Amino acid sequence: MDPIILAGLMVTGLGAGVLGALFGLGGGIIFVPVLMLVFGLAPTEAVAISLIGIIAGSVGASTVFVDKGLSNVRLGLLLEITTATGAIIGAVVATYLEDWILMVVFSVIVYFSGYRMLRNPEKIVQPAEGADGRFAFNYSDEATGESVDYEVQNVKGGMALCTVAGMISSMTGVGGGMVKVPLMNIYMHVPMKAASATSSYMIGITAFSGAITYFLGGQVLLEYAAGIAIGAFLGALAGTYLTRRIQARHLRKYFSVVVFIMATLVLLQAVGIL
Amino acid sequence: MNMNKATALTLRAGVVLGMVLMAAGLCVSMTGGGDSLLRAGILVLIASPFAGVIVTFLCLVIERDTFWASVAGILLIITTAGVIVSL
Repeated sequence: MDPIILAGLMVTGLGAGVLGALFGLGGGIIFVPVLMLVFGLAPTEAVAISLIGIIAGSVGASTVFVDKGLSNVRLGLLLEITTATGAIIGAVVATYLEDWILMVVFSVIVYFSGYRMLRNPEKIVQPAEGADGRFAFNYSDEATGESVDYEVQNVKGGMALCTVAGMISSMTGVGGGMVKVPLMNIYMHVPMKAASATSSYMIGITAFSGAITYFLGGQVLLEYAAGIAIGAFLGALAGTYLTRRIQARHLRKYFSVVVFIMATLVLLQAVGIL
Repeated sequence: MNMNKATALTLRAGVVLGMVLMAAGLCVSMTGGGDSLLRAGILVLIASPFAGVIVTFLCLVIERDTFWASVAGILLIITTAGVIVSL
C-alpha cells in the first residue's frame, strides 16, 4: 500500500479516535464519508472498515475509562441489551424504509438533544438515603479532584429509548454515541464524563456484531482496516488524556457543538448534497 | 481483582495484541505478504469487546452480584444470537 495512503488512513483514525474518546462518539460519521469520498471505497467496504475503527477507538478508550471507573460498565451492559435488540430489529426493518427518512429523523433528534444540552444545566441526582442502591454509582473526576456520587434515573425509559437508538443506529450506521450520551446525561441524569465514557465502552460492543459478520464474510480490506484501527487506537488514548483534564461543563458545551455539526453532515448526506 | 480492573486488563490485552499483529502485518505487506498477520490482528481486535463482556460476566458471577451478572449473561446471549442469525 502507498505509504501516503496509509498515513492518510492513520490520521483519519487519529481524528475520529480523539473525538470518540472525548465525547463518547463512535466515529462512524467521520469514517464512512471519508473512506468513500477521500479514499474511494464502496459503501459496504467503508462501513466494514468503519466498524473496525470504531472498535479500536472504543476499546482503546475503555482501557483507560473502565480501569479508572469512569465508564459505568454495569449501566453500559444493561443499556446494551435493548440497544442490541433494537439493532437486530432495525436491520430487519431497514429493508422497508428509505434511508433518507431515517437520517432526517436522526438529525432532528440529535439537534434537539444538542440544544437541550446547551440550554439545560446538568442535573445530577444524589443516591437516596437508605435506598436499594442498585443504580447508585460513583466516579472520580480527575480534572477537579472530586468524587462524584450519582444515581441513574428513568432506567426503564432509558432502556426503551435505547431500543430506538439501536434501531436507528443499525439502519443509518451512525448515532451510537450521539443519541446515547444525551440520553444518559439529560434523561437518566448520568454526569457528562461518566455518560461519554460509558458510551465509549458501549460502542465497541455494539460494533462487534457488525464487524465480525463483515470479517467472517471476507469483506474487510485488511490494510485499510489496519491503518484506520491503529490511528483510532492512538487517537483514543490521546482523547482519554484530554477528557481527564477537561472540565465537565466545557465538555458538555463542546459536545453540543460537535453533534450539531455532525447532525448537519448527516442531513446533507440525507438530501444528497454530500 | 475487581471487575473494572479485570475487564480493562482484558480489553488492553486484546487491543495491544491486535495492534502488534496489525503493525507487523503492515510491515510485512511492504514486501508483498502480511495477510495472515493482518487477519489475525483484526480478528483479535474485533473480539476484544466481546471478550471484555465475558470477563465482566465471570467477575460478577464470582462476586455473586446476581442482578448484574444476569444482565451481562443476557447480553452475551443476545449478542451471540445476533451474530449467528446474520451469518
